Amino acid sequence: MSELRLSSIETRGVPGKKRYAMVIDLRRCIGCDGCMTACKAEYDVPLGVWRTWVPYRVVGTYPNVRKQFLPRLCNHCDDPPCVRSCPVGATYKVEDGGFVLQHYDRCIGCKACMASCPYNARFLLPKDRSYTEITGVVDKCTFCHHRVIQGMSPACVQTCIGRARIFGDLNDPNSEVARLVATLPTQVLRPEEGTKPNVFYIGADRNLTEHGRAVYNPPEVLERDRQAFDNHKA
Amino acid sequence: MGDFNVFHHMPWSGSYAIYFFVIGISAALFFFSALSWYREEFKSLRASSFYLSLLLLAVGGLLLIGDLTQPGRFLNIMNPAYLNFDSPLAWGGLNLISFGLVSVAYFFMLRSNDEPRGRILAVIGSLLAVGLPIYTGFDLTVHQNRPVWNSPLMPVLFVALSLVSGAAVASFLAGKNEQLQVMLRRFMLWSAAGVGAMLISLLGTTAYGGVGAEQTFMFLTSGVLGGIFVGLGILLGTAAPIALLVTPFGHRQTGIWSAAALLLVGGMALRYAILIGGQIVQTYF
Repeated sequence: MSELRLSSIETRGVPGKKRYAMVIDLRRCIGCDGCMTACKAEYDVPLGVWRTWVPYRVVGTYPNVRKQFLPRLCNHCDDPPCVRSCPVGATYKVEDGGFVLQHYDRCIGCKACMASCPYNARFLLPKDRSYTEITGVVDKCTFCHHRVIQGMSPACVQTCIGRARIFGDLNDPNSEVARLVATLPTQVLRPEEGTKPNVFYIGADRNLTEHGRAVYNPPEVLERDRQAFDNHKA
Repeated sequence: MGDFNVFHHMPWSGSYAIYFFVIGISAALFFFSALSWYREEFKSLRASSFYLSLLLLAVGGLLLIGDLTQPGRFLNIMNPAYLNFDSPLAWGGLNLISFGLVSVAYFFMLRSNDEPRGRILAVIGSLLAVGLPIYTGFDLTVHQNRPVWNSPLMPVLFVALSLVSGAAVASFLAGKNEQLQVMLRRFMLWSAAGVGAMLISLLGTTAYGGVGAEQTFMFLTSGVLGGIFVGLGILLGTAAPIALLVTPFGHRQTGIWSAAALLLVGGMALRYAILIGGQIVQTYF
């Protein structure tokens, strides 16, 4: 049964159009952070900000403990709130492929897109960078648009040692991602926001996908780290 | 313990709250100046409240531009090729610019004392002025993932806050004009009562919302933000001035000015707490 399309910019099931998606199989993720490193190298992502990051939580009782990972990135939503909220059209959705990208030269730095993103996928680039003139604007994961249009896979997918990240066209029923999404139970982050994300997780733990109640009383060390991180950025 | 996440930052800092505060007062002061063409009691406010409105509009505009990380590109918001009308910020930018242009026209009209044109500009300017708190409210409302912000109350709450803060400032401008102070006291009392009613409703829906909303409620009512929101915003800045204004002391000039000062503190505190409160939980996700 086809799903309801609500927005004119959705690429879901549009004939002749690609709809790229990523499936992250958490049963295969070993938390090596190779994806973070590959992404940093691919884009010269500055210190203190990430296009993709891998938070984890230690669960269980000693000695039976394990780490649960949840690699994160822009969800390239079918109905992205960042595109809606940008006043100058600096954020846009590519019709063929569904990439959510940035016109860096248009961005005024109002941060409305950052405020509207439920996934914290957007960040502000610092004003001084060594190798590029793209500074002081909002940036995010591009699903490696420049690589994908040349027939390559995103840097994080290529480097993933456990093949936990799988990338492909969901509109193509023969693709691996389409098969995985169709045959295995998958989850998306914050489905209640109606963004229709294109990053699907297999085996995600809701301790990581939902707002944790620990924020009622965050450990002091977290606040100290946050402060140190802020100072470092400044 | 043993958890790891990267530290996310709040996109909109406290300077936005100052902008909301300043622009709300500017809009209300223009409204009071415009009202002077139709209500005799407000006549003494016509020039003074307008000039202050114009000054605050300039300050607000500079604050807004200064907060952009690419301030030189603020003109992009007027570029028809770029404008995205799905964004309330685009409408807000146009509203702000139109209000600025009408204010300049109003300034020249005020100097020439042209009553027929003054009445027309007063109506047009007032409509644009009320658009300012409405758009700032919508700016927050449209973010569906943000507890507290994502409420249809926001635009109305910001209009009421604008009237409260504007009337409070106007009461200082009104000096010892008793007839005008009576009117401004009514504005302050009923707008503050409206703010109070909306805050009760907002707190209720936040406390009984989803996990994120419930946690936001906790942040808003406890800790540092609790002191600002509940202490300064609700108790000292809304409940206390309402109580003051209904007492016999609140009918006297000193009472009105005391209430006005408290309402200004409350107006700023509420805007700040609502702005920051809606962003805290997300930084942990």
